[in-house]
Amino acid sequence: MIMQKLHKSTWIYFAIVFVLILLPFFKDDRWFLFLMIQIFVFAIFAMSYDLLLGYTGIVSFGHAMFFGIGAYSVAVTMNRMESTFPSFLLGVLVAVFASGIVAFLAGILTLKLKSHYYAMLTLALAGMFLYIAERWRSVTGGNDGFTFRIPELPGALQDHRNLVIYLFTLFMMVILFFGMKRLTESPLGRVLVGIRENDQRVESLGFRIMPYKVLISIISGVVAALAGVLYAISLRFVNTQVFDIEVTLDALLMTIIGGVGTLIGPIIGSAIINLSHHFLSDLANVHWIFQRWVILFGVIFILAMIFFPNGIVGTIKQKVEQRRMKRRILEVEKQEELDEGKKHA
Amino acid sequence: MELFINLAINGVAMGMLIFLIASGLTLIFGLMSVLNFAHGGLFAWGAYSGVFFYVLLDNFWLGILLAIVTGILLGWITEFLIVRPVYGNHIRQILITLGFMLVLTEMLKVVFGPNIINAPTPEYLQGSWMIGDITIIKYRAFIIAVGLILFIVMYSVLRYSKVGLVVRAGVMNKEMIQALGVNIKKVFVIVFMVGSALAALGGALFAPSSGAIYAEMGMEFGIFAFIVVIIGGMGSIPGSLLAALLVGMANTFTAYYVPILSMVVTMLIMLVVLIFRPQGLFNVSGVSNK
Repeated sequence: MIMQKLHKSTWIYFAIVFVLILLPFFKDDRWFLFLMIQIFVFAIFAMSYDLLLGYTGIVSFGHAMFFGIGAYSVAVTMNRMESTFPSFLLGVLVAVFASGIVAFLAGILTLKLKSHYYAMLTLALAGMFLYIAERWRSVTGGNDGFTFRIPELPGALQDHRNLVIYLFTLFMMVILFFGMKRLTESPLGRVLVGIRENDQRVESLGFRIMPYKVLISIISGVVAALAGVLYAISLRFVNTQVFDIEVTLDALLMTIIGGVGTLIGPIIGSAIINLSHHFLSDLANVHWIFQRWVILFGVIFILAMIFFPNGIVGTIKQKVEQRRMKRRILEVEKQEELDEGKKHA
Repeated sequence: MELFINLAINGVAMGMLIFLIASGLTLIFGLMSVLNFAHGGLFAWGAYSGVFFYVLLDNFWLGILLAIVTGILLGWITEFLIVRPVYGNHIRQILITLGFMLVLTEMLKVVFGPNIINAPTPEYLQGSWMIGDITIIKYRAFIIAVGLILFIVMYSVLRYSKVGLVVRAGVMNKEMIQALGVNIKKVFVIVFMVGSALAALGGALFAPSSGAIYAEMGMEFGIFAFIVVIIGGMGSIPGSLLAALLVGMANTFTAYYVPILSMVVTMLIMLVVLIFRPQGLFNVSGVSNK
């Protein structure tokens, strides 16, 4: 039964991926490709956020720093060295290690305390990284940032570079999605959900919760850094904006609106937020209120927190579950009636 | 030496401003254990409405009074609409108040315009006194005086009055206080409104000292306030004062001697405190940090 259900959802995912692979061949528009790449990149970023918020119940206000570390690591390496594939790989390695170390340090310092300590510390650390990036002009180019070259692709692929990046980010998103899905369904993931629901009970069952929390904060940080890497190479440009609090807030909105603790939710959230960014900034010319669209987002966010704390995917899941329960109760009742009838007969 | 004293006075004045906003937060945080990330928004609203009414009515004191009224009203709205549905759930509190913070900040831009606004100082508080080589800017002395008075009032109300007894007992054991027949919900609302009023007062007093106000200042000072509350120890008024003074001093001195460090020094203090004394400098018994 469970295997069948899993198969069904996996098939749906494969169908969507297939459509996404074919999509750019029908609509080869530069802006469209760019928008889709943004959606994929932020989907990865929001999924990494969901690992913390949705599965473990850790609130981070500085998730942008991992994104920024990833973006700057790869950009600075490619800028300093020749832009070849080995230097790209080196940049990715730097991104993974730097983000992992920062996540580890932030984790061991504050994860044994109440939730707001981690939120505050990450917020403070992200502020520090933003400050360093603005001040260390010789490396980061300050607020203006810098452009860099990405390695040339062999042969005819070079002419369709955006398409290749599109497929690559899509590929990464799919791989990371299934990887994280596997992780959350593993025994480790179960312990994490247990920590979210009731950490004392998990502890009394004999698990030491600190290593789990630190581990998931490292994994989440590394995945966020990978999103930053993809962001940088898709733009071939990086500036201090990647460390901005708004990047974190975007991830937060995507995760909450899409559905916390679902992984597919952040992807849907990313699509919604990026598309509305895109269309609302067009609408700003129509009416001034759309320039202040953050208000709209804030209000939606608050309403979502009060009325749909489970987000889109979570609410749908709940509804489906309820219906299934109702049907099962009806079936059981019918069966009982039949049994009763048999007895009487 | 003169330079040192001048810097120290500036540091104390800055610390007092931070104390005003942090003291409101430590009340909300300490008693109700509500993580109100919109607190900085109330600070910014206090600053804007203070300047607005001061310019409109041409009376500094009326401006401050109306800023406090704005703070009380906004505090009531925040408690009623935003915080009430999420009592007892820290993660949802953090998220929802952050959303409200965004709304408050953007609403400032809608109501007062997105540009930086000049904040005037009343004439009798302009200028400075010279004592030898020591310059004391009048407005800073005024802020220090207000901060000290507020500290004494808050401390003695909490320590010696019946209301203070209820509040302190509420921090330690909410259920027990309720069982003894105190309407703790009402106390919660009032404390929330007082905390918000303090933030608004802080904003209104901050505006003339910086000379200019902008919508994003709420976020900046909100972070300051949280850091100060964490350094000082939750729910402790003396802790907040000490931490605020420490942060204010550290900021002023590094801004003068090591400008590169001035942005990060607050974070560094918080880091050190988190590593060596995570419960904060003053720990109120019964309030845990775990």
